[in-house]
Amino acid sequence: MPELPELNPVIHGKLRLALLSLLSGVEVAEFTWLRAKTGSTDGNLGAQLLKLEEAGYVAVEKRFVQRKPQTLYRMTDAGRQALTEYVQALKQLLGAAIEA
Amino acid sequence: MGNMEEQELKDRLSLIENMIAEGRRTTESWGWTFVLWGVAYYVAIAWAYWGQPAIAWPVTMIAASVLTGVLASRSASKSPETTIGRAMMAIWVAMGISLFALMVALGVSGRLESHVSVAVVCTMLGTANATSSIILKWKMQFGCAVVWWASAVAACFTSDGVTSIVFLTAIFICQIVFGIYGMVAESREHKTGGARQGESHA
Repeated sequence: MPELPELNPVIHGKLRLALLSLLSGVEVAEFTWLRAKTGSTDGNLGAQLLKLEEAGYVAVEKRFVQRKPQTLYRMTDAGRQALTEYVQALKQLLGAAIEA
Repeated sequence: MGNMEEQELKDRLSLIENMIAEGRRTTESWGWTFVLWGVAYYVAIAWAYWGQPAIAWPVTMIAASVLTGVLASRSASKSPETTIGRAMMAIWVAMGISLFALMVALGVSGRLESHVSVAVVCTMLGTANATSSIILKWKMQFGCAVVWWASAVAACFTSDGVTSIVFLTAIFICQIVFGIYGMVAESREHKTGGARQGESHA
């Protein structure tokens, strides 16, 4: 029986997984848009995005638009790769569960 | 693996699918740009007919471009950037610059002829609408492209008066009516939070 893959713990958190999935469908997204889509609090969202940033899965850009600060997030190539591998691992695990 | 773990894995997969779909559902409102540019065309035509034809079109087009840029930058800050959104912008910006450069050059060189000008403008608007409609899978917009192309062909065969009427009618159908239809559709879209083909840009 082939060895079952381990799920990436950085991505496995529900909110972090939701954030990476959201970012995979857009080029760049603002903090407030991510907050609205996930229904998360500022503190929790900021903490989870920081973990993704530290893992190199998202890149952050800060700028001012009409004198208002904006924090923009984009998925990095490493993040896309990690999400792809996570989905493959999930499917493999589910396949193994069905076969068992 | 227990049933609970299996369910959790299924939930994770479902979460990924839902969030990817949610990201793509992001709507941008562009119906107003069609109305704005339709009004700008009418202003330029009226100004050229009753006022100063040499400056009417360039001044109106520059003013409409600036206004579009300012209003678009305000609404864009609320939505995330998407590849389709950038593709849409590329089509219309490239078409606008091409038309502006060509028409100014023809005007300055004294080779601007009304039938050819209307035919060229209608053809390019048809091309931009068709390209946009194919990317967005929006049949209604492809209908506008057909109207523009038909107007371009008509401009080659009809008299000055008929060409003007054809052009004014095409602007009304493809800019004003289509723009209002787009705004209504986008408004419904924002209220329901769902996404249908076409109206959800990018």
